[in-house]
Amino acid sequence: MTQEHEDPKFDQWLKDATAKSYHSPLPTPREEMWKRIEAARQNKRVIELRPWLRWALAAAAVLVLGIGIGRWSANQGSVPTAPTASGNRVANEIDSLANVAYQVAATQYLSRTEAFLTSFRADNRSVNTARLARQARNLLTTTQLMLDSPAADNPRLRSLLEDLELVLMQISLLNPVQDGHDRDLITQGMNQSNVLPKLRSAIPAGPVQVRTEGAL
Amino acid sequence: MDESQLIARVRAGDSAAERALYDAHVDRVYRLAFRLAGDDALAQDFTQETFIRAFDRLGSFRDAAFSTWLHTITTTVVLNGLRKVKRFRQREADIDDAHDIGVAQRHAEPDLKARLKQAIDALPEGYRTVFLMHDVEGYTHEEIGVVLGVETGTSKAQLSRARAKLRVALADFAGEWVQ
Repeated sequence: MTQEHEDPKFDQWLKDATAKSYHSPLPTPREEMWKRIEAARQNKRVIELRPWLRWALAAAAVLVLGIGIGRWSANQGSVPTAPTASGNRVANEIDSLANVAYQVAATQYLSRTEAFLTSFRADNRSVNTARLARQARNLLTTTQLMLDSPAADNPRLRSLLEDLELVLMQISLLNPVQDGHDRDLITQGMNQSNVLPKLRSAIPAGPVQVRTEGAL
Repeated sequence: MDESQLIARVRAGDSAAERALYDAHVDRVYRLAFRLAGDDALAQDFTQETFIRAFDRLGSFRDAAFSTWLHTITTTVVLNGLRKVKRFRQREADIDDAHDIGVAQRHAEPDLKARLKQAIDALPEGYRTVFLMHDVEGYTHEEIGVVLGVETGTSKAQLSRARAKLRVALADFAGEWVQ
């Protein structure tokens, strides 16, 4: 099907010009990427719940549910006949809502941190330092809250949060006068410690709202 | 060893086979990621993410061409990643330095390279993706259709519209292609 705007000379010129000058790829950094892929996959295997951990979590959930039912029953005190099925349902729903809210908040925090660090590494020089430092401070506060939360009981997640705390602290302390060298050092540190691949492997697949202010 | 045997070995947990599969495909994946992202760090991130997902999901791969399946993951990872970065940058720019954006636009140079970049970046996402995949990276319309989940005819139509828009945007350089 020939359309009126078709022009083989233009098409060929456009192909050549684009191939030559638009986002021309560099040589593939095979080894660097492979090392990060291996590290991320290794990390992911460890963070994923192992069978014994699933059983431990299930036991903890039953315990929490038991406590919830106990408290609910105690509060009923003088009420002559407490509907047990309804009590179970209420306690269960509260527990499950808290769990979902916690997971959503944690996932949003990790996604937002990932977007921030990806952007920091890609932009490097073009974003102003004061803004970067302010964003890093906001995320740093959340990171420290996460470190004090049950999330930090998982040793791998704790290690990731500690890496993030260090990177965010460095960015929050960037000096606007001589930040070029400091930014390079932070980027090098991030690459060496594989922070971004580890962070990505800790984020569950699927769409996530990126904004987190007020979520935690 | 052919690719299906290699895939079977990866599924069986053979790490040497994983590396061989990576070596066989990484160049094309990285090239596509770089063309779409225009940034080495992002292209590396997207390439890594593509292979991590591919190895994790290899169990669900069935009977199609592995390369096409892998490039479907690549385009999903790259386009979602670019949208995420764009949203993040846009929100931050909206918040505190709309002034800087105005300044940056005024400094755009009218040379071919800059104008070409500006014109391609201004294309709708679908047109831009099809144009770069077909005209620059050499994918066929059939491959693009499978990878992007659209009809072959849609891919052809989007390429045609992309070229038409670029021709208008680059009309100042008509002398170059007429020669």
